[in-house]
Amino acid sequence: MWAIGGLSKISIIEVKALTKIFAGRIRAVDGISFNVEKGEILGFLGPNGAGKTTTLNVLATLLRPTSGTATVNGHDILAEPDAVRRSIGYVFQDPTLDLELTGRENLDFHGRIYGLKRDVRQRRISEMLEVVQLTDRADELVKTYSGGMKRRLEIARGLLHYPQVLFLDEPTLGLDPQTRRAIWEHIRRLNQEEKVTIILTTHYTEEADYLCERILIIDFGKIVALDTPDKLKARLEGDVVSLVFKDPAAIGKVHLLLEKEDWVRRINVVASGNSHATLSHMMQMMRGMPSGFGVDGMMSGMNTGNIRGGGKMPEHLQQMLAQDMGGERGQRGFDGDSRCLNLLVDDGGHRIPEIVRLIDEAGVVLESVELHKPTLDDVFLSVTGRDIRDERGSFMEMVRRHRIVQQARGRRVRG
Amino acid sequence: MVQPLSGQAIYVVLLRELKRYWRAKSRIIASMAQSFFFLAIFGLGLGGFVGGFGGISYLSYLAPGIIGMGLLFGSVFSGVSVIFDRQFGFMKEMLVAPVSRTSIILGKILGGAVTASIQGIILMAVAGIMGAFTPTIALMAGAIAAIGVMLLITAGFVGLGVAIGSILNDFHAFQLLSTFVMWPLFMLSGVFFPIDAVPLPLQIAMLFDPMFYGVELLRWCLLGAGTPLLGPLGWLISLGVVAGFNALMVGLGTYLFSRVQV
Repeated sequence: MWAIGGLSKISIIEVKALTKIFAGRIRAVDGISFNVEKGEILGFLGPNGAGKTTTLNVLATLLRPTSGTATVNGHDILAEPDAVRRSIGYVFQDPTLDLELTGRENLDFHGRIYGLKRDVRQRRISEMLEVVQLTDRADELVKTYSGGMKRRLEIARGLLHYPQVLFLDEPTLGLDPQTRRAIWEHIRRLNQEEKVTIILTTHYTEEADYLCERILIIDFGKIVALDTPDKLKARLEGDVVSLVFKDPAAIGKVHLLLEKEDWVRRINVVASGNSHATLSHMMQMMRGMPSGFGVDGMMSGMNTGNIRGGGKMPEHLQQMLAQDMGGERGQRGFDGDSRCLNLLVDDGGHRIPEIVRLIDEAGVVLESVELHKPTLDDVFLSVTGRDIRDERGSFMEMVRRHRIVQQARGRRVRG
Repeated sequence: MVQPLSGQAIYVVLLRELKRYWRAKSRIIASMAQSFFFLAIFGLGLGGFVGGFGGISYLSYLAPGIIGMGLLFGSVFSGVSVIFDRQFGFMKEMLVAPVSRTSIILGKILGGAVTASIQGIILMAVAGIMGAFTPTIALMAGAIAAIGVMLLITAGFVGLGVAIGSILNDFHAFQLLSTFVMWPLFMLSGVFFPIDAVPLPLQIAMLFDPMFYGVELLRWCLLGAGTPLLGPLGWLISLGVVAGFNALMVGLGTYLFSRVQV
């Protein structure tokens, strides 16, 4: 494949019009096409439930696409699933280690089931344990490991069989900031030393910004942008001025006032989504559900995107689910409680006095003003019209995240 | 759909089952102790009243049934553990590997059969030490045959467990499984009383219990005789039923497992 400028770039993954529809109506992945270049780190950035994991699962041949095709390392995902599986390593979002085995035994299981010969296997296991700095704990049971150690072991395992591509699904979810940093360093080093192409999914913009050579922004199963972090940010020429008001009622008024000014390139209402308040509200609704419809039971349905518990699910939850999974495409950014506006303006620093004066003259009370260069958060907001931190993106994702975080915390307390 | 089998994959899944079994020592001890209590308390306690059936002591009559109990519970729970593999995520690690699901589940079934049979062998030795069997040359041959029978019985019940575990989504159904599947299978298998001494409806129910034929086979191996109801070829009938059940359950478990969503 020839890219602009005559540089030869080899695509290791080619995706064409890939679509995955669950339960006949939920478009988790909606006709996406893209290529992944050999050796790069590509990030799928998107809110919870955007279709990131579904895309990975289709590419890993764990799910059949509804339509469209893809090749991984030259192998068709439908025609040669075993060759595709041999070409990839997959580190899943949820832990997938056997806690009753040691670290070394987990790697040994992997090496054997991927058919590595004894001497290659043993050499490679030692090598990978060294790389992720787990050599001294290798012969202890995994249940004694911390969250970060488990993650490192999973990454080592994903690379054990010399895959061409490594899939990392939310590699740092539920980890504390220091551990997250350490995992980032490991990912970068492995990309360079092992020459492995990496696709990672994340809903943390700083993670995508730090790690990825290119970022693919995905929303409601569609690609809304694909470029390098710098180019994505450069698309937003100018500066971002964030205005916070005392009264939510001011939003509409100021919006009308400022959209008349020609130096204001774009105005976004930042959703006030207090994720904690929303989550606890959701958890309360869960408690109101009939027994037997456990969170865990629902989770396994969610993992497949199938609403298998449907028969037992209360009506209002079914509706919420349908919405969450992309059944309804209404704009969800504006919720009436928002007190924050983001303005994209040229030469922001010099415009602030004018902005403040205009707002003051309109009789609206400002709480704070902030100026910054566009970040990936702003890019996300501008291409999707929503704040990536708006956790209401998906009810199901939120519940399972809650569970993962709770588990991670529980482990830390005990460990 | 015919899926290619990988010996290496079957072996590694089997190896994992063995390691996990060996490490869960408290579970092994608990199930052994339970079987031992049944043997000692029922065998010696109830044996005092009953005396025996058809010329053999009650303890001798009871022993093959209690071995069968260990096999039954061990194997079904081993199969149902596919639920745990799903809950704790390890299932994904197996399913994303470049091997067929048939290989994975055959490894699982073999592993469950071997671990449950190890338990059965230990119980057989304990019962022997307690004097349940007459030490003869024939018993030696019978004990070896019994090991083969154990593997056959348990493979079928691991298959049943896998089938159940592939349909169920969570642990909540465990109690139901125990009450409505395991206990009837166990109680109707002719452990405590001979089939020819009970009312007809119960007899019919017992004849529908695959475990009944398993216990019959163990009695033929270890005591040299089975129930008069099935006649002198009772062992052959029992072997046929157990083998048929085995094939059916391994097939069903493999089929349902192949449809499990990741």
